[in-house]
Amino acid sequence: MRTMQNVFMTLSVLCMAIPAMAQSTAAADTHASMVAIAAGISMAIASGLCGLGQGRAVASSTEALARNPGARPGIFLFLVLGLAFIESLALFTFAIILFKVK
Amino acid sequence: MPFQHFLAQLLNLVFAGPADWLLNAIGRPPLNPAAPIDGTFTMELIAFFILLLFFVIVRISLNVERPGAAQQLAEMAEEFVTGQTEPIIGEKYGLYLGFLTALILFVLVNNLLGLLPDVDTPTASPVVPLGLALITFVYYHLQGLRWNKASYIKQFLGPLWWIAPLMLPIEIISHLARILSLTIRLFANMFASDLLILIFFSLFPLILPLPFIGLHLAVSLIQAYVFMLLASIYIGQAVAHEH
Repeated sequence: MRTMQNVFMTLSVLCMAIPAMAQSTAAADTHASMVAIAAGISMAIASGLCGLGQGRAVASSTEALARNPGARPGIFLFLVLGLAFIESLALFTFAIILFKVK
Repeated sequence: MPFQHFLAQLLNLVFAGPADWLLNAIGRPPLNPAAPIDGTFTMELIAFFILLLFFVIVRISLNVERPGAAQQLAEMAEEFVTGQTEPIIGEKYGLYLGFLTALILFVLVNNLLGLLPDVDTPTASPVVPLGLALITFVYYHLQGLRWNKASYIKQFLGPLWWIAPLMLPIEIISHLARILSLTIRLFANMFASDLLILIFFSLFPLILPLPFIGLHLAVSLIQAYVFMLLASIYIGQAVAHEH
């Protein structure tokens, strides 16, 4: 277990090292690929955290629905609204990437 | 040639002159004077005519004893919008039923047009949601002024008088941000869903894109609902009396 951890840590460091070394040789070429990597990572962070937030919202609304099925319309309204607001945060990231990355 | 560009060319044959004149009159000359009307606008126009046809059919076939299929559909839409907006706006909901029903149906038809093969979703271009968001913005401010008269400004000033200089800029920015968030939400959702279908279609063009077309359908319904819901919340806040 310990050795596997070390191997993966070394590999991940090497992953960082390869673009860093390539940067000195062809700076203009790596710029475009760096932008693509940054876009991918920012979208991954945004959608991952958006998923966590939506998961919490859906979990608690399902629980509330199980406790009190009569409150369905009210819970549904706030669930959809909340999901739309949480989702729009990830979509803002998407829109920034779309408009700013050439 | 994509279907919508073909239709846009047909429109340009007839209406290129007046459209050029209009664009020049407001100081934004078209990039291509021979073809000022693009595919997005054409599809929007088609959505408009579909809805117009639907409402005309409903009006002609209106019948109390034996309601037809179109009337059932219209009543379903009306009941849905009423059920959603009455708890939010309150007793004045009847005044805004027309606007909100038109809004949800227009967004819905525009979203669903993207399901047709060879057609880009009109709402996946930022100008269509921007237009709808601007209409909503102007409309709810007008309704707020109509019901609260001069005291509408109190909604922007916060609860205490000495906090007003701080609250006014914050409120103005948050109201303007509503335009941005309405626009980006609808545009980015539909664009992402179009893009997703395209990507999976280019991976393997058989069967594989089908679930994502289903997803597009679900997203269309939910985004139309959310757009209508947010518009009704803004109207409800604007027309509410502060006691």
